[in-house]
Amino acid sequence: MKIKRLWFLFTLAFLVFIPWMLSDFWLYIAIEVLTFALYALSFNFLLGFGGMLSFGHAAFFGVGAYSAALFFKSSQMGVLSTFALVPLIAMMVSATVAMVVGYFSVRRSGIYFSMLTFAFQMLLYTVALKASWLTGGYDGTMGLKPSGILGQPSGYYFYALAMCVPCIYVLYRLVHSPYGLILRGLKDDPLRVQYLGINVRNHQWIAFIISATFAGLAGALFAFSTGNVFPSWLNWTASATPVLMAVLGGVHSFFGPALGALVYVVMEVIVTGQTQYWPLAMGVIILLLVYLLPMGLVGFFSKVKA
Amino acid sequence: MTEFLGQNFSWMLDPLVLVRQTLAGISNGMMLFLISAGLSLIFGVQRILNFAHGTLFMMGSFVAVSLSSVLGDGGFPFLVILVVSMLVLAALGFLIEWVLLRRVYNAAHELQLLVTFALVFILGDVVKLIWGNEDRSMTAPSLLSGSSHLLGVTFPTYRLFLICSGVFVAAALWLLLHKTRWGILIRAASNDRLILGALGVNTRWLYSSVFALGAALSGLGGALAAPALSVGPGLHVQVIIDAFVVVVIGGMGSVVGAMIASLLVGVINAFGVLAFPDWSVVLTFALMAVILVFRPWGLFGSPE
Repeated sequence: MKIKRLWFLFTLAFLVFIPWMLSDFWLYIAIEVLTFALYALSFNFLLGFGGMLSFGHAAFFGVGAYSAALFFKSSQMGVLSTFALVPLIAMMVSATVAMVVGYFSVRRSGIYFSMLTFAFQMLLYTVALKASWLTGGYDGTMGLKPSGILGQPSGYYFYALAMCVPCIYVLYRLVHSPYGLILRGLKDDPLRVQYLGINVRNHQWIAFIISATFAGLAGALFAFSTGNVFPSWLNWTASATPVLMAVLGGVHSFFGPALGALVYVVMEVIVTGQTQYWPLAMGVIILLLVYLLPMGLVGFFSKVKA
Repeated sequence: MTEFLGQNFSWMLDPLVLVRQTLAGISNGMMLFLISAGLSLIFGVQRILNFAHGTLFMMGSFVAVSLSSVLGDGGFPFLVILVVSMLVLAALGFLIEWVLLRRVYNAAHELQLLVTFALVFILGDVVKLIWGNEDRSMTAPSLLSGSSHLLGVTFPTYRLFLICSGVFVAAALWLLLHKTRWGILIRAASNDRLILGALGVNTRWLYSSVFALGAALSGLGGALAAPALSVGPGLHVQVIIDAFVVVVIGGMGSVVGAMIASLLVGVINAFGVLAFPDWSVVLTFALMAVILVFRPWGLFGSPE
């Protein structure tokens, strides 16, 4: 346990010193890694610990991004107070949407759960596409660059770090709490957990809302680092991203998906610098992963060690 | 009383519009059926949601476009185009099942999902590499070009031909599934594949052949639809969504359900576009969600 705590502190210290080690370009990549790590971890909270495979998680990433963008555009306050509220708005809107989507989705299990999240995602995608008075339609919402200190890459990096680390810590504590233990029990055998007197649906519903809330925050943080939001963030092709990052890192370890996010983002940057055929490369990487490393990087390394 | 929610509904009183939209809906529904029948069969037997099915459909369209630029727009060459597109996609489907899918039948759902997504990404880019980024179009065979008069409306002949060919394929598929040993085995497999294997049936070959059959259907669908569409590298992203909606509504695994749901979705869309131009798509997704909530096995499937 002592060693684990040391590792946490070491990683945290490393993350704090990153702005002094990277160029502006790579600093934005680091921000992307941070936000996608939160996204992947929140997704895996549902998959790896709750046993629920959401085909539509990109919807919450997108909802968080759009709600934060709309708030930013209409806010009359100063930059700092706006950005103090941005995470709250994004998380509240995502949580509200997830309450509705989750309420219906957790009533079905297995492939039907996945299909329901998928159907709701497509609904939200069409709304993002068609409600152009609100979302900017096909062109998305642009011009989301904060001014002042948060406009600086290092300033925004620290902001994103200050948002992501506590959330990741909360997720970690949740997984290792009595609640998380029951959640893992549900993954293995829902019927038995039900016989222990636990309300299965409510438990899954809460997990769904928690997961979507953090995914929404990740979307909001990412939106202000790229400066825009597009409806394609909610399209079904975008829902492969969190699945890939989680599997790449390893769905059975808590921090695996964060590692997956790091590897995924860096690979994307390198490959898109070389060729426009990133999807082709990603497809090949997925196939190699599924057939050679089905337990993910963390699973692979712990096997090598053992 | 022709205004509602700011939309004009006077077309509802015009029988010609009603006939035209119904015909348009049915012909679109037939295209949907050609894609979703294979998707539904594959889900029934292999229990895999094949996201790449729309991509196979798109490849069928592109193969047809390329062939037609060589063979021209005669009637017999058109038949050749249909058969060749079907065979090419059947072979590709067989290969995909043989090399990739059979290794993940017992794997976790997320791995199966990732494999079909990988196929979407890879085949989508392969299409761009072979056929480029521009939209292509294919001329209908000269026999079927122009328009016909039916029930008082003028309607593109090729779209009427699409309706007929949809009926023809559905009938052929029904005969195949009910009157041949292969078809009976396919239906048995979607009922209970473990027992089928225990009874000594070679399920490996059965699975490969079902996937090849599904791919062939989508190839045929793509080729048939090519003259009615503008064929571009983004086609598959929308096509697969429509097919999913149909398969969920009809019941995953049910071919009859796929037929009826295709027509339903086709007609709903045709009228939805008139009634709520911007929001008709939302209507079908809402229908899909409602079905999943209240009757997840679809209108014609059976609960497990």
